[in-house]
Amino acid sequence: MKFTGSLCVAAMLFALPAVFVAAADTPARFRTWKVPATFPLPPVPADNPLTGSKVELGRYLFYDTRLSGNGTQACATCHQQQHAFTDARAVGIGSTGEPHTRGPMSLVNVAYTSFLTWADPTMTRLEDQALVPMYGDHPVELGLDNADSWLSRLAAEPRYARLFTEAYGTPDLTRERVVKALASFERSIVSARSPFDRYHFDRDDQAVSAAAKRGEVLFHSRALSCFQCHGGVNFSSAMTGEPRPRMEPEFPNTGLYNLTGALSYPPEDAGVYRITHNPRDVGRFKPPTLRNVAVTAPYMHDGSVATLDEVLDHYAAGGRTIAYGPHAGVGHDNPNKSEAVHGFTLTTDQRADVVEFLRSLTDEALLTDPDFANPWTAPATTGAESSGKAR
Amino acid sequence: MGTVLLVGGALSVHAQPRSTPTGPRTGTLVVAGEVDKALTLTPDQLKMLPRTAVTIEEDGRPVKYEGVLMGELLKMAGAPVGPNLRGNAVSSYVVATGNDGYSAVFSIAELDPVFTRSQIIVADTADGKPLFDYQGPFRIIAPQDTRAARSVRMLEKIELVRVKK
Repeated sequence: MKFTGSLCVAAMLFALPAVFVAAADTPARFRTWKVPATFPLPPVPADNPLTGSKVELGRYLFYDTRLSGNGTQACATCHQQQHAFTDARAVGIGSTGEPHTRGPMSLVNVAYTSFLTWADPTMTRLEDQALVPMYGDHPVELGLDNADSWLSRLAAEPRYARLFTEAYGTPDLTRERVVKALASFERSIVSARSPFDRYHFDRDDQAVSAAAKRGEVLFHSRALSCFQCHGGVNFSSAMTGEPRPRMEPEFPNTGLYNLTGALSYPPEDAGVYRITHNPRDVGRFKPPTLRNVAVTAPYMHDGSVATLDEVLDHYAAGGRTIAYGPHAGVGHDNPNKSEAVHGFTLTTDQRADVVEFLRSLTDEALLTDPDFANPWTAPATTGAESSGKAR
Repeated sequence: MGTVLLVGGALSVHAQPRSTPTGPRTGTLVVAGEVDKALTLTPDQLKMLPRTAVTIEEDGRPVKYEGVLMGELLKMAGAPVGPNLRGNAVSSYVVATGNDGYSAVFSIAELDPVFTRSQIIVADTADGKPLFDYQGPFRIIAPQDTRAARSVRMLEKIELVRVKK
């Protein structure tokens, strides 16, 4: 079901142990995921089954700066755990100093995301997406060379022989194995332990404040209609999960810009238009998950909105007005703007309630969970410990 | 690309801001309109009526909703259901409205157990628990719908409209 229906999963019992241990006959991927029973099970590609050893290898790779051409950056440089795997910058900065046009997206619950990146309807597999920051040159991110000479740098690290053997049966380092392990680690990052989750799934009425409960009503009200793009257990319409078929996200244009001239959005990033070259797709971007949104500022695809209050300003106005400068324009009048962005008025108290509700989506346990933390700063685990670990 | 695109402003639709997010909650359900006997039901009164349970899938998981068939509520209000639902009465419809002003329409026939097995209910529990504030205390569940757009949350009013008298 659409929208709020998805959030109504709520009434079911929910218990998420610190370490998820499933029944013996549970499929292997249950044993390696902190997926509560009330969440759908994310899909996994048949050619990259999720295993604990592959997730663990992926964690080492994710935090390894040898995965950049000049050895200065790792995936974790732009996807930092304390910021729900974003980087607190407006836009990402690559290993050579080149700025991206977009901010790094949160990797939280990325296993549920039906379409990856901010605005690419064709990008559906993490294994494919990983190649973009690794090898892309518009802009350069990790800046790896296509000849894969960087694999020899990894091979010099003694721990990888064991980790690759545990994950794949042999110690061979290949691009495909690296990518599959990175994707597996990313899929393991499930956020489901926020106050909102305790309130909804544990039915702990004290888990969230009265203000957050009022804010939730406003969030789902017809007037605000936030749920239309940010519904479901992942607060994003771009969500998939088993056994429900893949959803088509709407890639809404929210009226963030309305430039005069050929494109209504800054030409360096016009959203889905970049892929389709269809004028109707100018300014269309994926609604990201709102889980942990209080720790992922700044907001929007280009980080041009600093705070949650300013986000509400933007939507309350039915689109952002920029009075001066090269981006001047009335976003409210953007010709591609989604009908869901219609504007609304809130009292000061109501605005505070909505923000309080958004803050209730912060999963503090995830932000410090050692299973998602940098393994290179911790003592190395033994093979026996690692291979048998239930994540 | 450098392609010149003509993305003019002429297509702009100036939607009006919505100024009343939610009003005071009545906490009751009114069954009114062109019925013989309008009703106002409290949550406790609804619980005393014949119960129906339906299970739907939400986010890939089954959720069991319980409540009262809308057809049962219409019958209590004296609407033409059962043997009386024929002729001009078949053109009647129901408007269901929530506290936030959202509304959806159901034809009277799709609410009548004599006509359909769709089991559209006014739910007051999900998996045995009261609905959350943003949903309840009453919410329509239409289990045969493939989208939840008619699952009016914070339901406060059911109105019968007779197109032909």
